[in-house]
Amino acid sequence: MEQQHIDELLERYLGLLNEYTVLRQSLSQVQSGVYQNIARANFSGERGMRYGQDHYDERMQAARRLTISVDDKLQPTFAVIDVPAEEPEEEKAKASGETEKQGDEEDSEKPARKKNKKNKNPLHWFGLFAPMPLRTAQTQSVQAVEEVIPRLVSINAEMLNLEIEVRRARKRRAKAEAVAEKKGEARGVTDTQPQKAPVEAS
Amino acid sequence: MASHADFKDRQFLAVIGDEDSVTGLLLAGIGHVTTGADAQKNFLVVDNKTDNAAIESAFESFTEERKDIGIVLINQHVADRIRHRIDSYTAAFPTVLEIPSKDHPYDPEKDSVLRRVRRLFGE
Repeated sequence: MEQQHIDELLERYLGLLNEYTVLRQSLSQVQSGVYQNIARANFSGERGMRYGQDHYDERMQAARRLTISVDDKLQPTFAVIDVPAEEPEEEKAKASGETEKQGDEEDSEKPARKKNKKNKNPLHWFGLFAPMPLRTAQTQSVQAVEEVIPRLVSINAEMLNLEIEVRRARKRRAKAEAVAEKKGEARGVTDTQPQKAPVEAS
Repeated sequence: MASHADFKDRQFLAVIGDEDSVTGLLLAGIGHVTTGADAQKNFLVVDNKTDNAAIESAFESFTEERKDIGIVLINQHVADRIRHRIDSYTAAFPTVLEIPSKDHPYDPEKDSVLRRVRRLFGE
């Protein structure tokens, strides 16, 4: 019976492994698309403009954030969601009771709200008119971040849990086998000895 | 294993990688610099001049010190440089995901999940 349980777990595990492999491939594809497009943008950049860290906005705020939910089996599921411009401020307002520091910041943030909204798109770090390849790179990267990566890490977590379950089930099976063997030995010691000999020889 | 409070505040993805990898992911809007005196970034751009200690300390900061990070993305070739740290990391949160980079396509041989699969079936 334990064997059947292990087989079921492994079947589920292999299903996840298959999905993991497919997602890995699609991540590689999407990422290489992103790199190609950044290279294209750099190639056609005016006056040797390089789309890289020199242009990052030092005050950037994450527009895509993670939500993690855990079910009753401690199985985490990851998702990346697009955060509307207002939401972080709402969060800060909620948290303001907890820390005085954030409360102080809130007053100074209100006038800056409109400005924040405008600057949210990272494309604008590189100027008002970002080249087409960079826009494509952004679309591809959003796909990786929203669709592929959260699913990959969720599957990884699910596989980790299944591995623990399989090992536990195997231990139980080994224990049951040991008990059965002991019973067999108790029944007839003389019968088991000649059986063991050929196994050792092979 | 994972307490309730542990994952709730983990709302950011972090990146350790070469410039193009970081730029690509930041374009998707995951970049975040904390407000306040010690502005902390959730990314590290690694090049040939970056020493392994800096990579290791960023990894440590993202995985151990900061409690607001849920996924750490790291280029596989960068992960290779601190492989001992990556392999000995077992916590549930944040989860670490190795990603391909421009010059280093993904190598399944080094994939931690596939290595675990082999261990499970090889036992």
